[in-house]
Amino acid sequence: MDVDIPEETGQSSTRQTRKAQLVPVDDLHPFDLDSYIANYTGRTAVDRLIHIISTCHQLAPEAFQLAVQQIHQSRDPSLYQQVMSAYETVSGLSETPLPSGMDLAQLDTRWADETMAKNQAERSKLEVELKTYSNNMIKESIRMGHRDLGDFYRSVGEYPTALKHYTKSREFCTTSQHVLEMCLSVLELLIEQRNFPHLPTYVFKADAALDAASAAAANAKEGDGPAAPTPLLNKRKAVSEDRERVQSKLDFATALSNLASGNYQKAAYTFLKLGPAKDFGDWMGKLIAPGDIAIYGVLCALATLPRSALKTQILENSVFGVYVEQEPYVRELVEAYLSSNFKTVLELLNRYSSRHALDIYLAPHVTELTNMIRNWAVVLYFQPFASIKLDRMSGAFGWTVDQVEEQVVSLIQSGAIHGRVDSQNKILYAKQTDHRAELFARAIKAARDIQSTNRKVLLRMRLQQADLTVKAPKGYNSSIADLLQGD
Amino acid sequence: MAPDSLSLDRILNEITTTNNHRRSCPSPLASGQDPLSVLDMRQNTLGVLYIMSARLNTTNAPVAPQAVVTFCQSFLTEQARLAPERVTMLARGIMRLAQQHNNMSWAVAPLYNLLRRYPPDLSYLTSFHHIFLQVCLITNQPAAALPILSVPIANISTALSDLSYNDNLMYHYLGGVVLAVLKKWAEAEEYFEICVTAPGAVPAALQLEALKKLRLVQLISRGEVLPLPKYAHAALSRILKNSIYTDLINAYPQNTERLHALLEKEKQTFSSERNLGLVTQAIDRAPRWTLKKLTSTYVTLGLGDIARVVGIQSEDEVRALILSMIETGDISAQISASGTVTFSDPPPQFTKEEVDHVLHSAQAQSALLESLDLEMSRSKEFISKALKTQDSSWAPNPEEELYAMSSAWNDDSMYS
Repeated sequence: MDVDIPEETGQSSTRQTRKAQLVPVDDLHPFDLDSYIANYTGRTAVDRLIHIISTCHQLAPEAFQLAVQQIHQSRDPSLYQQVMSAYETVSGLSETPLPSGMDLAQLDTRWADETMAKNQAERSKLEVELKTYSNNMIKESIRMGHRDLGDFYRSVGEYPTALKHYTKSREFCTTSQHVLEMCLSVLELLIEQRNFPHLPTYVFKADAALDAASAAAANAKEGDGPAAPTPLLNKRKAVSEDRERVQSKLDFATALSNLASGNYQKAAYTFLKLGPAKDFGDWMGKLIAPGDIAIYGVLCALATLPRSALKTQILENSVFGVYVEQEPYVRELVEAYLSSNFKTVLELLNRYSSRHALDIYLAPHVTELTNMIRNWAVVLYFQPFASIKLDRMSGAFGWTVDQVEEQVVSLIQSGAIHGRVDSQNKILYAKQTDHRAELFARAIKAARDIQSTNRKVLLRMRLQQADLTVKAPKGYNSSIADLLQGD
Repeated sequence: MAPDSLSLDRILNEITTTNNHRRSCPSPLASGQDPLSVLDMRQNTLGVLYIMSARLNTTNAPVAPQAVVTFCQSFLTEQARLAPERVTMLARGIMRLAQQHNNMSWAVAPLYNLLRRYPPDLSYLTSFHHIFLQVCLITNQPAAALPILSVPIANISTALSDLSYNDNLMYHYLGGVVLAVLKKWAEAEEYFEICVTAPGAVPAALQLEALKKLRLVQLISRGEVLPLPKYAHAALSRILKNSIYTDLINAYPQNTERLHALLEKEKQTFSSERNLGLVTQAIDRAPRWTLKKLTSTYVTLGLGDIARVVGIQSEDEVRALILSMIETGDISAQISASGTVTFSDPPPQFTKEEVDHVLHSAQAQSALLESLDLEMSRSKEFISKALKTQDSSWAPNPEEELYAMSSAWNDDSMYS
């Protein structure tokens, strides 16, 4: 049991990443592994390193060493197997042979044995505790027992068991504050596990609990009466700060689930309205780094939001501005985009594509987001023109004329640009529509369609009234009917 | 009237009293005369109808073809409608007679007359509509069916003719085939669609065949398939999904290589399902649709580029294709001497008369719907059902208002 589950999750994560292409890291695509991983602690660091190992073979040996170091600080020796298998897969894929994993870093077997033993001991201790609490029927203690067991299983990487204990603790929650605590633990667990589809459920539950909790807190304050007005104010402020802190975590979970489900516009809005980094408490580093928020938010926003929204939401947003400071190139990206300097935008995107592809949450969406940004850029660029030479566009985007033509044609065919290409003279013309004539055409077509549909429906009605419906012939085998329904 | 009815009585009497008891298939009368020659085709329609239909359906009772022709031209509709099943028998008999004489095309004229004169107007379906279409198809005279097919079926009356669901399916299926033969694609599509969407608890095999043909016709006339109306039986499209037709639709029109490969491989199936002609036509037209798509993307394009995209080797062929498309009005374009094609799309033009016409027909349609609605809300079934759902508290005035309102709302939704 101890070994089975982590192996399963390990396999699934490698399966996900195997689809992604190997990412190059060189002078054109800089990526500083040490400074990147320094932002994270604990399990997410290992998870991220595994992701890096399996997507980038140039960094794999270095990442492997770092991962093994990190594992020694954790309580889950089974992680080593995941790291090892990811490393072996990637070394099988890459053309240049990589140094064998065993030579790079060895797992300290004594440490592993000790940790296993310690884990075992702690587990039995916690389980015995829980049993006594259950016998005593003290709700609060049972809840804490479950919570501690959940925390324990999480730290050793047994997510399903951890989730089971967390959800069980809910039955013993007495105040909404406890429910909230439980929800946050589950959210943390789910994010770590990258199980995004379940996030909204718990965000929703936590929201309700949060409302109830702050209402209760406010009520309690009312009870103090007007005798002490000053402390009341202070306290209320404290409550709302507390609330905001939790709210930020919830928003972050929502944003991540939106991103994971490909709903980039919603994700952009949620990322951009996140609270300041200090609200996240220990989530910062344990799950996410401030720079990540900046990158996720900006990429989603560039891909989906209109320019005016970009300006107000990113550049004039002081809270998000702090995140942007973490990754200076992101600000460059936004500024280049807003000044319609699309060549720089695309260059920056290309330059940092490795950074994006090596991010554990962003990796599956990089290609799509980049495509969306590029398409948006082309559409935006063409908007003010009635006609434009393609070589001018190629200059503005840094592509060859053929590339531009290909891009433009695909955008016209998808309906994003209303225009036509003069392929001989390499000019793109905006389409001019005679709206009046088009309206007439549409109206007349609609009239004809409706009339013929009416006629057909009326005939159908008459047939039904006369009971001239298709009936199963006599002896029609019901199994055939099932077959027809079934296939 | 008097002498004629007398003579009918007399003949009837003679028929029933003579030894010959082959019912309603009388042999010559006592006087040696053929009853058909004694009776007046017009005044004694019913009698003649009985005798003629009986004789036509037995083997050794000859009927003069000329008599049938005259009868179909001159019978009295009021009398004929008293014996609808006999009229159906007559129609079948005419087809048999033609088969016996090995002269199918003879049957076209009498059946056409019968069909034109028997129902109150052509919008009524009868049980011998499809017999006529079948004869038209066998004799390869599809154009003869056009006057009938140009009036869509809108009325069903079981009193007029002993209809079964098959009559409806067959008529619309055959109608679609006839129109497809005549390359009247839009109409053919409509006929096939009616057949496919005929109401029923289970899909009929004929409906599936109609759906296959419908898809092919759509590919030919539109270059793509339209979704079926919601009320079509779901099983039909599900069955079609597993067939080669879906492969064909998916590959159409861009993937010419795949289309030709499919045609080669499945030639046997297509031809055994009698769809080979339509499939070949559809595949032949595939370049047109690819080319048409180009017009919305490009203003000018070289012939060579077009040839590459469309998948045709020689530029001359492309030139011919473009010219024919310009002629048929599918696209508007100019080919310059240097081989550059310039596309343009003139905005659609409408004359005042056209708009007026559309408005008139819309008004007529809404009047029709209104009258239907009133008729419906008067009907016994509707009222009893409405009463049941509106349960006990029946207060005439407010309830009636409610119906009026709800029906008005229904009208609106039909237009929206």
